[in-house]
Amino acid sequence: MIETEVMDNIIELKHLTRKFGDLIAVSDLSLEIKRKEIFGLLGPNGAGKTTTISMICGMLEPTEGSISFKGFGGKEPKSLIGYCPQENIFYPKLTCMEQLVFMGQMFGVNKITCLERAGQLLTLLGLSDKAEEMAVNLSGGMKRRLNICLALIHDPEILVLDEPEAGLDPQSRILVRDFIRRFGESKTVILTTHNMDEADRMAHRIAIIDYGKLLLLDTPHNLKRTIGEGDMLEIVPENSSGNDVTGFIDQVSALVPQINNNPHTLLFRHPDMLEIMPSIKRIADEMGFKIAEFKLRQNTLEDVFIHLTGRNLRP
Amino acid sequence: MKLFAVISKSLKEQVRSYWVLLLTLSMGPFFIFVYYLIVESSKPQYDILFVNNDKGVVVNNNRVNHGERLINYFTIQLSDTAGIPFRVKETGDRNLGVKTLKEKHADALLTIPEMFSENVMAKTNSDSSNTEPVEFMGDLTNTSYLISAVWAGELLNDYMYQATGKQKMVSIAEIPLGSSGTLDDFNLVVPGILVVSLIMLMFTSSIAFVSEVENKTIMRLKLSGVTTLEFLGGIGVVQISVGVVSMLLTLLTAILLGFQYEGSLGILLLIAALTSMSIIAFSLVIASVTKSANEVLIVGNFPMFLFMFFTGAAFPLKSEALFTLAGYPINVQGLMTPVHAISALNKALVMNMSLLSILPEIIAILLLTLLYFIIGAMIFRHRHLKLA
Repeated sequence: MIETEVMDNIIELKHLTRKFGDLIAVSDLSLEIKRKEIFGLLGPNGAGKTTTISMICGMLEPTEGSISFKGFGGKEPKSLIGYCPQENIFYPKLTCMEQLVFMGQMFGVNKITCLERAGQLLTLLGLSDKAEEMAVNLSGGMKRRLNICLALIHDPEILVLDEPEAGLDPQSRILVRDFIRRFGESKTVILTTHNMDEADRMAHRIAIIDYGKLLLLDTPHNLKRTIGEGDMLEIVPENSSGNDVTGFIDQVSALVPQINNNPHTLLFRHPDMLEIMPSIKRIADEMGFKIAEFKLRQNTLEDVFIHLTGRNLRP
Repeated sequence: MKLFAVISKSLKEQVRSYWVLLLTLSMGPFFIFVYYLIVESSKPQYDILFVNNDKGVVVNNNRVNHGERLINYFTIQLSDTAGIPFRVKETGDRNLGVKTLKEKHADALLTIPEMFSENVMAKTNSDSSNTEPVEFMGDLTNTSYLISAVWAGELLNDYMYQATGKQKMVSIAEIPLGSSGTLDDFNLVVPGILVVSLIMLMFTSSIAFVSEVENKTIMRLKLSGVTTLEFLGGIGVVQISVGVVSMLLTLLTAILLGFQYEGSLGILLLIAALTSMSIIAFSLVIASVTKSANEVLIVGNFPMFLFMFFTGAAFPLKSEALFTLAGYPINVQGLMTPVHAISALNKALVMNMSLLSILPEIIAILLLTLLYFIIGAMIFRHRHLKLA
């Protein structure tokens, strides 16, 4: 977790709304993104994350509201942003080097600079030995990394990543994560993800959106505090016929209330959970309540996310 | 600079999609070869069969048979007639001749009467017109008989003039138009097939445009701020080059197989480039309404069929002009540029006409190209390049 320094706003979304017919994908969304910030956008499927970043990147026009970029001396917003979409998009019949140079040239960068920058990016993302390989022949993880290189070839001020770790093996994930962190030291990164761990580890601030609306925006640390102080006890009952889950919950609730509504994984939170854990264990033993797992942990972003967006699957 | 980058990238992609390129480049030469085989196997041969019943006459103690002389005259004259593949045969019996005719081993049967020599002698010494006729027999519905009969009649008159010294009433002078006198069917179909080699560009061009949509790389281009003109221009330049190479390969194949090339190479290249541009512009319309190479192959078949078979490219086609514009005939097929390209190539390659004389065709190609391009670019921009 990285704490936010005081930084200037470089992107301001004001009352941003985007409608597709009757569907309101993004509704009255207002937020600011700061310079040299890694900004996470969390939300379930269909929450409006991709629509929001598409508007930031200039691929979609807002139905209402505005997006302003500050401190770039009137530069064309498109040239400020490097967009790495969720889907790997590249020219299958060009080599890694060829397509990086081509995309750089499309952004108006001269060929020599493109060649230099492409070489650096391929090295940083572990693709230097694949520079002359046609993209179609790369593995899934390599294609994902090439996708990131393509977003950065014109040296943008803002890198927008849609699910950057999707489909990556653990080694590639670490490489990409380190790369994003390093990039975020000098530039701005906006990332959307379903991976709470990824967001928690990397983002300075996180916005949680659902049904196109902003639910919470804060640092990961503060977000975790919003759903309550203290540690979390997670109890997974054994699936035995004699287990009286309801009776157990009733008795434990006298000490600490259950914070979820799931009979298969019982969650309890208390500011001093270590103190009351022995009492909970004693209740279980006295009732003959069999426990498969008994786990003490801190609040996670997933807890926050589920707390805010619920457990229901989204269409 | 962006335009050159698009050209370079498009060229690499085109070369690496070598199967499509190979098919496009080989289609013209392949058609030429097929037509060559068809034309060679069906080259016309006119067989004239004689039955000589002439008994001859004795002149100054010498026996003279004008029937034999006539057959001899035919043999010599027809072998000397350039490009007319006549063969003279002789049989001793008329019934046998008729049988040969029915079995289609001959196209015309000429029976020389018994008194033929006497008639010739009589005509030499007087203006007598009472002569027993030379009998022409053949299938009147068969053009081979008609051609054989026309030539035989002409030669018979020539012989009679030589033998009797009597002036012919009418003499025919045949003057070939352009190089048509030395052209056969193969030479006449080559201009159309040169255009076929360009029509095949419809697939490579449409696929080049639509692959950006299919690979979704169009999104990256939209973000980069590349203009529609730079994008379309870059792809267009590569496709025009493919078109010109395709036409030159087709022409080279045709020349190797005996095509008699006339006219200026510059005019040929100009027509190739303009027609390629028009096909590319039309391809843009196809790419606008499709989203993948597979869809291009399905949707593109229909216009390709029209361009191939209703413009005179694959087969000669005649159609009534709806009206004429400054003397240039306009018909429904004229909405397809190959019609004008074929007309221009025929004028330039067959008739050896100048650039000025193909100006109406060039103007028609340019106007139609502009029309295709405006329609294609508008729809393509709206469907694939515009912000959502």
